[in-house]
Amino acid sequence: MNLELKQANQLPVRTWSWLKVNELKLQQDIPDSSPYDNNPLKNKALPKEIQLQYRRWQDNIGKISTGMGKEAEEFIKNHKNAGISLHLTQGTKQIEPVLLQYCIDEANPSILEYNEIILEEDAEITLVIDYKNKTACSGFHGSLTYIKAGKNAVIHLVQAQVFDDSITHMNNIGAVLEDGSTVQITLGELGAGTLAGGVMADLDGNNSNFSLNTIYLGDKSRSIDFNYVMNHYGKHSVSEMNINGALMDTSKKLFRGTIDFKKGAKGAKGQQSENNLLFSPGIKNVSAPLILCGEDDVEGKHAANSGRIDEDVLFYMMSRGLDELTAKRVILEAWFEPVIQKIPDEILQGQLLEYVKERLDHVKSL
Amino acid sequence: MKNKTYVSDIDRSIYDVKDKVNASYKSAKGLTAGIVNEISLEKNDPSWMREFRQRALKIYQDIKPPIWGPSLEGLHMEDIVTYVRPNTNMNLTWEQVPTDIKNTFERLGIPQAERTSLAGVGAQYDSEVVYHNVREEVKSLGVIYTDMESALVEYEEMVKEHFMKLVTPSDHKFAALHGAVWSGGSFVYVPPGVKVEIPLQSYFRLNAPGAGQFEHTLIIVDKGADLHFIEGCSAPKYNVANLHAGCVELFVGEGARLRYSTIENWSKNMFNLNTKRAVVEKNGVMEWVSGSFGSRVSYLYPMSILKGENARMEYTGITFAGNGQNLDTGVKVVHAAPGTSSHMSSKSISKDGGSSTFRSAVKIAANAENSKSSVSCESLMLDDSSRSDTIPVMDIRNDKVDIGHEAKIGRISDETIFYLMSRGMSEVEAKAMVVSGFAEPIAKELPLEYAVEMNHLIQLEMEGSIG
Repeated sequence: MNLELKQANQLPVRTWSWLKVNELKLQQDIPDSSPYDNNPLKNKALPKEIQLQYRRWQDNIGKISTGMGKEAEEFIKNHKNAGISLHLTQGTKQIEPVLLQYCIDEANPSILEYNEIILEEDAEITLVIDYKNKTACSGFHGSLTYIKAGKNAVIHLVQAQVFDDSITHMNNIGAVLEDGSTVQITLGELGAGTLAGGVMADLDGNNSNFSLNTIYLGDKSRSIDFNYVMNHYGKHSVSEMNINGALMDTSKKLFRGTIDFKKGAKGAKGQQSENNLLFSPGIKNVSAPLILCGEDDVEGKHAANSGRIDEDVLFYMMSRGLDELTAKRVILEAWFEPVIQKIPDEILQGQLLEYVKERLDHVKSL
Repeated sequence: MKNKTYVSDIDRSIYDVKDKVNASYKSAKGLTAGIVNEISLEKNDPSWMREFRQRALKIYQDIKPPIWGPSLEGLHMEDIVTYVRPNTNMNLTWEQVPTDIKNTFERLGIPQAERTSLAGVGAQYDSEVVYHNVREEVKSLGVIYTDMESALVEYEEMVKEHFMKLVTPSDHKFAALHGAVWSGGSFVYVPPGVKVEIPLQSYFRLNAPGAGQFEHTLIIVDKGADLHFIEGCSAPKYNVANLHAGCVELFVGEGARLRYSTIENWSKNMFNLNTKRAVVEKNGVMEWVSGSFGSRVSYLYPMSILKGENARMEYTGITFAGNGQNLDTGVKVVHAAPGTSSHMSSKSISKDGGSSTFRSAVKIAANAENSKSSVSCESLMLDDSSRSDTIPVMDIRNDKVDIGHEAKIGRISDETIFYLMSRGMSEVEAKAMVVSGFAEPIAKELPLEYAVEMNHLIQLEMEGSIG
C-alpha cells in the first residue's frame, strides 16, 4: 500500500518557506498489512479492573488532535491491524506497569497500531510499549495513540523503539488533560531509518500537568522529524518538554516544538529544552522552537543548545585514561541515561542501553 | 477598583502633523507597466535601470503574496500612488527647502541633530530626497554620501555593480515591487581605512495620504573602514493605507565595521514591508540596532550574510506593539564561512490588543566550521488582550559549532516586584523600573538623541498594578 502524507507534522504557525520547516511530506510504499495476531501483553495477567482489549476499539474517545495531524491519523485508522483499547474506571490504580511489545517479522511486515486510552477520574496507570523488528526484516510501524486523562488521573506512557534502518516508523500521539490530571510521556526514539513523530497535548483542565521526555539517536543516513505541541487552555496548567539527542554521519533531524498559551490560561507555565550533540560534518540539525502567547499571566521558556561535547569534560575523561573515542562514547551513553532511567522496567532499560552501545560500536569516530 | 498601570500609546503629536500635499508630480494610483515607465522617464533613468524596473514589475506580477505572517488585508496596490515628487529639487541648505517641508523636519529635530551630532544628513519627503548635506571634513576623507538619484548619475558603475544584487527582485513580492518603483534613498561609500567618527543619518518622511515610499539605501564600507549610519522614518496618520517598501543593501568590506541604527515610527495606517540585508567580508563587523514602534503591519527582518572568515554580526532590537498593530519583526543570519559569529538580542512589548512576533532564522552552512551563534528573545505582555509569539528556526549543517537559543515570554514576575519592594520601593516605582529597564539595552546602544526619543516613544504612566 502507499503512504502519502502531504501535510504531516505541521508547524502551528507558518514561517518562511525556504526554511522547509512548515510541514513534513512523506511518501512511501509499505508492505500490506494483515491482522497482528501475536499477543503483545508481556504481563502474566492484569487485574480485572483494567479493561484492556486488543484490536477491539470502542471508537468513543471523542475528538482529540494529534501532533502529526489528520492525514497521519486517517492513514492509521483506515489500515489499523493492531493496538489496544484501554479503559480505567474511576479510581482504578495500577501500580505495576503494563508492558506491551510489538515485533515486526516476516508474517507482520507492517504494524499499524491504533490505541485508545481512557482514564476516568482518579485512575492511574503506567503503560510501557516497546517495538523492535526481527533481524533482516524490513517494514513499517505506524502508531496512533489517543489519551484521555480524566480529573486527577495519572498516566505514564513509555514508548521505546529500536528498529533497524530498514524500518519506517511513525508515532502519532494526542492527549487531552482534564482538571488536575498528569500525563507523562517518555519516548525512546532510538532506531528506524525514517522516523516521524508528533505529540499534541491539550491541557484543557486547570492544574493539569504534562511532561514529555524524548531521546533520539541519528547515525548513518537516518532521517528524524518531530512535531511536539503543548496547548495550554487550563489555568495553572504546566508543561515541560525535554529533547536530547545526538547526530552522526549524514543523519538529519528536524524538531518543531511549540508551547501555545491560549487566552485564559492564567498562571500557566511551559518550558522546553533541547540539547543536540553533533558528531559529524555531514549532519543536518534543524530546530524550530515556538512560543505562542495570547495570555499575559503566563511563563514560557525555551532553551536550545547544539554543538560538540564540552572540551573540558572530554579532557577530564581523557585525563582519566580513556582514549578520545571511548571517552565520547561514555559521555554519549550518559547523555541518554537520565531518560532511559525514567522507564519503569529494568529489563527494557538494560535493553535500550545495550542497544545504544551496539549502535555506537559501529561508529569508528565521533 | 484598583488602578491599573497604564502604558500609554506613543505620543505622536510631532509625527502626526500633516502638511498640505503640494506635489509637482504624482503618478496615477496602482501599478502598471505604463506607470513604471513614467517613473523611469520622470527620473531620467539610464536604459539599464529602465529595463531593470520593468523586469522587476514582471516578477512582482508573478510572485504570490506571503502565506505566513500578519494579514495584509487592507493593502490594495490599485489604491496606492507609487510616486509623489514634492514641489522642490534636492537642496544643499535648509534655507532652500520649502517652508512647510522645512518646518516638518524642524519639528522632527533633524536640522538641530545635524548641527550637534551628525556628520551628514539626507532628508527624504515622499518620493524624493529634498535635502542632502555632508560635512566638508568628512567629504575630504573621500566619503561619498549622496541621494540615490545623484549616485546613479555620478557613480553609475558602482551603483550598477551593487544595486539589488544583495536583495534581488525575486526575493519576495515586495522586493520586486521595490525594484519596479524605487525612488529616493541614500548612497554611501566609505573608502578603505577611513573611520567616520560621527554618524550619518537619513530621515524618511511620508506625507501624502495613500502613497507608497520606496527609498533605496546602498552603503559600501570598504576594507578597514568604519561607519555609523542612522535611519529614521515617520508619517502622519491617515484613514487610508500607506505603504513603505524600502530596501537597504549594505556591503561591509574586509575588517570594516558598520553600525546601522533605525527607529521606525510609522503611523498606524502604514504597511511597513521593508527589506534590509548586509553582506560581511572577512573580519568585518555588522551591527544592527533596531526600534520598531509604528505601523499597522510590519514585516521587518534585517539579514546578514557572514561571507568572510571570522565575520561578525550583532543585532539588538525592540518592538512595541499597541492597539491595532501587528508587528512581525526579527532577524536572519547566514553563516557562510568558518569562524563567523552572531549574537541576536530581541525584546518586545505588547499592550492593548497589539500583536508582536519575533521571527528569526539562523543558518550555519557546511563550511562554516567553528561558528558561534546565540539568540535571546524576551517578550513582555502588559495585558491579556495582546499577543506575543516567537518563531525562531535554526538550521545547522556542520558539527563544529556552538549554537544557543533562549526565549522567555510572560508578564513582570511577582518575585521581581517583591524583591524591589523589599528594597524600599513602592509597588508603582518597582513596576515602572522593570518596564523602563526592559527597554534599556537598546536605548544604551542608540545615540543620545535617539535614546531620548525612544524614551519619549515609550511613555510609561505607572498608576497601580500591571495586568
